[in-house]
Amino acid sequence: MNYLKTLISSLILVVLIVSLNTQFGSVPPIGKFVDPQAGFWANAETSIPESDQLSIDDFDGNASVYFDERRVPHIFAENEYDLYFAQGYVVARDRLFQLEIQTLDASGRLSEKIGDRALNRDKETRRRGMPYGAEKALEMMKQDSKTWEIVNAYADGVNAYISSLEPKNYPVEYKILDFAPEKWTPIKTAHLLKNMTRTLAGGNSDDRTSNTLEYFGAEFIEKFFETKPELNDPIIPPSRKWDFEGIPVQAPDTLFKSASAVELGEYEKPEGVGSNNWAVSGSKTKSGYPILTNDPHLSLTLPSIWYEVQLNAPGINSYGVTLQGTPGIVIGFNENVAWGVTNVAADVMDWYEIKFKDESQKEYWHDGKWKSTTMRIEEIKVRGQETVLDTVIYTHHGPITKTESRINEERKPAYHALRWIAHEGSNDIKTFYGLNRAENYDDYVEALSHYVAPAQNFVFASNEDDIALWVNGKFPNKWEFQGRTVSDGTDPLYDWQGWIPFEHNPHIKNPERGFVSSANQESAAPDYPYYLDDDFAPFERGRRINDLLASMEDITAKDMQNMQMDNYSYYAATLLPSLLEWIDAENLDENAQKILQLMKEWDYDMEAEEIAPSFFRQWSGNFYRAVLYDEYETTDAVLRYPSRDRFVEIIKADPDFDFFDNVATEKIETRAEIVTESFNESVEELTNYLGEYGDKWKWGYFINNDVAHLADIPGFGRNNLFSSGSSEAINATRGGFGPSWRMVVEVGPEVKGYGVYPGGASGNPGSPNYDSMIEPWRTGELFELNFMKEKPKEYLYKLEIR
Amino acid sequence: MILLILLIITAYLINLVFPWWAIAITGLILGFQMKPASGKAFGIGFLALFLLWSGQALYVHLANDGILSTRIAEMLGVGSPILVISITGIIGGLVSGLAVLSGSLLKKNFSKK
Repeated sequence: MNYLKTLISSLILVVLIVSLNTQFGSVPPIGKFVDPQAGFWANAETSIPESDQLSIDDFDGNASVYFDERRVPHIFAENEYDLYFAQGYVVARDRLFQLEIQTLDASGRLSEKIGDRALNRDKETRRRGMPYGAEKALEMMKQDSKTWEIVNAYADGVNAYISSLEPKNYPVEYKILDFAPEKWTPIKTAHLLKNMTRTLAGGNSDDRTSNTLEYFGAEFIEKFFETKPELNDPIIPPSRKWDFEGIPVQAPDTLFKSASAVELGEYEKPEGVGSNNWAVSGSKTKSGYPILTNDPHLSLTLPSIWYEVQLNAPGINSYGVTLQGTPGIVIGFNENVAWGVTNVAADVMDWYEIKFKDESQKEYWHDGKWKSTTMRIEEIKVRGQETVLDTVIYTHHGPITKTESRINEERKPAYHALRWIAHEGSNDIKTFYGLNRAENYDDYVEALSHYVAPAQNFVFASNEDDIALWVNGKFPNKWEFQGRTVSDGTDPLYDWQGWIPFEHNPHIKNPERGFVSSANQESAAPDYPYYLDDDFAPFERGRRINDLLASMEDITAKDMQNMQMDNYSYYAATLLPSLLEWIDAENLDENAQKILQLMKEWDYDMEAEEIAPSFFRQWSGNFYRAVLYDEYETTDAVLRYPSRDRFVEIIKADPDFDFFDNVATEKIETRAEIVTESFNESVEELTNYLGEYGDKWKWGYFINNDVAHLADIPGFGRNNLFSSGSSEAINATRGGFGPSWRMVVEVGPEVKGYGVYPGGASGNPGSPNYDSMIEPWRTGELFELNFMKEKPKEYLYKLEIR
Repeated sequence: MILLILLIITAYLINLVFPWWAIAITGLILGFQMKPASGKAFGIGFLALFLLWSGQALYVHLANDGILSTRIAEMLGVGSPILVISITGIIGGLVSGLAVLSGSLLKKNFSKK
């Protein structure tokens, strides 16, 4: 009997231990996880880190890292290798999980660590050629000895940190997801940069434009997508005269019509990936020296995408923010110059309909002959399961995606090849290397000449009182509207026939108006001799920035900070007065009358404390849908929606626009009816969603601003931040998205920088430093950046790396 | 009482070097050597590690101002960091209780021979 008891008791013990040491689905191995010595408790920061001297094997350099009171590292090294080694080391120390998960995602390897829930994502990543592009970029990086030295120094630094870790020191996310950090290699830097191209230039609407052309006709396309709104204000202003001719490019006689309506859904261009930057010349500032600002709008996560750092070594003293995995500084300044970036919406991603000889897909028709495809076998390891092999066919255009049309009767699959800038080899790090060390305008231009993608509007200011802006990247030289619809994969005239020479990229230096700016709107006025795209951000933010800058004099850094928090909505300013004019006010009840009055008194500022922005958002959305959805959503194919700004202009100009009528009803609806109906509908919806009309309707709540954890782990984000802003305002905060880094730099004899991002230096959710800047960011407070000319005497703590 | 204290001390020490489940090893050995009555073995084992682990967790929780335990509570959907501390104690306690019980039963089998 006792034997049995012993056996049972021991068995239960073993089973218990094994279960508590195993991950079930997304539940972490709970025994291991709660272990006070090595589980998550070990990640709770119980005191400020202490100064330390680290002796690292295989490292015979010397770097000192001083952490200031916000725990920003200031790295002082004696040579470049030591500098980038130390950068890799401290980034890994603060952001290891982020560093790794971003590149796993970018290389289609998430499933290897977290199982088959990421398999579709990995397949998609590989089918669009992300690892393929990264391999090409790596080759380019190898060819440049300086780049190769610094990416390797960075890798060595990351690895030195990783090898110093025991499992109990792993960041808490590793314990939750139950895997171990792996060695860093230079290709991961390439993966990371390709990931930025995916985020910023990884979408298009070729299929939607083709379908819209097919269903609504050329006139509709012309009216909605080719004609720019009157208030459109290109980045390079029309005053700029071009002293060169464009390189001619041959266009086909008639535009290719795709075989059937297609849907390449995953690749849609999301709205809101945008940013602002501007620089004002000394003639407009109080100090007499230029001021430069930048706020890139990206997905807001914890930890933040950005990491602040100062890099100091012979030949470089630079401060700014960087992406985890990139040696150097991406946005920042040094003693002489400052620079910043916003995204360029140029069309650098095209779909080609492919004609295969037969089902083997070994040959495809192009330029009058059958050409051979190549195969790339993607091996996707899946945790706890068998490895998945995915064969991707490549043409000279790029990788093939198969789509099953829902529409054409035979349901014949269609094959499309993807031509994408991310497939180009590139060495974009060289640009940042140059910018970090730039002393003047010429250095800046030289640095930009190495840049490929994602194309950015690089704004610039120097203490020689130069300001400039280059719309910069490697752009295919296209005929007008090439690639906005699905392209003919058999005709070489649809290929990217060449590139716009770097010197021809749109740019401007020291314009008479005394400022340069960009907010993702159209790159240049129509007389610019090349075609870049027909789809840029609405004019709203860009026009507002230019309005304000034109009217300002004696500008200070504080003025620029305030301007970054400007919430004025051009969308509301152009649409709301008309809605109020058209509405049939007599058909509103008492409650609705109150709201109508509020709307009439509103100043178009998307302020957290106000109710009007919430109502405007709901009402304008409902109105837009009421006009377009009945036509758009009853069409079988996915269609391209017009941009807000052009939509407003058209419905104002044309009271009899036939889309006002709801096709689902027999009655012919008028504009006034639609406006009134959508008003009442909005009152009802907001009441259902937020309760009776009152304080709960305030925009700060309705904006729904959540800063989620990078891997969406519940409890690790900061939810419901009561925030002002809107995608059409300079302060482009919207739910979980917005200004990911706000920077203002005053160049001059003594450069002064200010900045904030919603997060903190530490990526550890168990540290108070993890989200310590969220509140200042929310209220628009910028910190004075601690730009050190020499090693500081006062600091929070320091690391000596030997 | 001596067993309780010994369990706490040995579990703490072994856990400094070996993974968390090593607390079962000290539990088994002490259960075997000290041969507590079967009825009490589990209870003492449980109490020892409950006190040790929840005590350690409570200390970290306080020193960290509850930053991490609050997040973990939300992640696990248990609402309060105090529950996270208790869960930590209970898991340590269960393993230890079973280990001490198994150790003491094993001893009895041996003694009968």
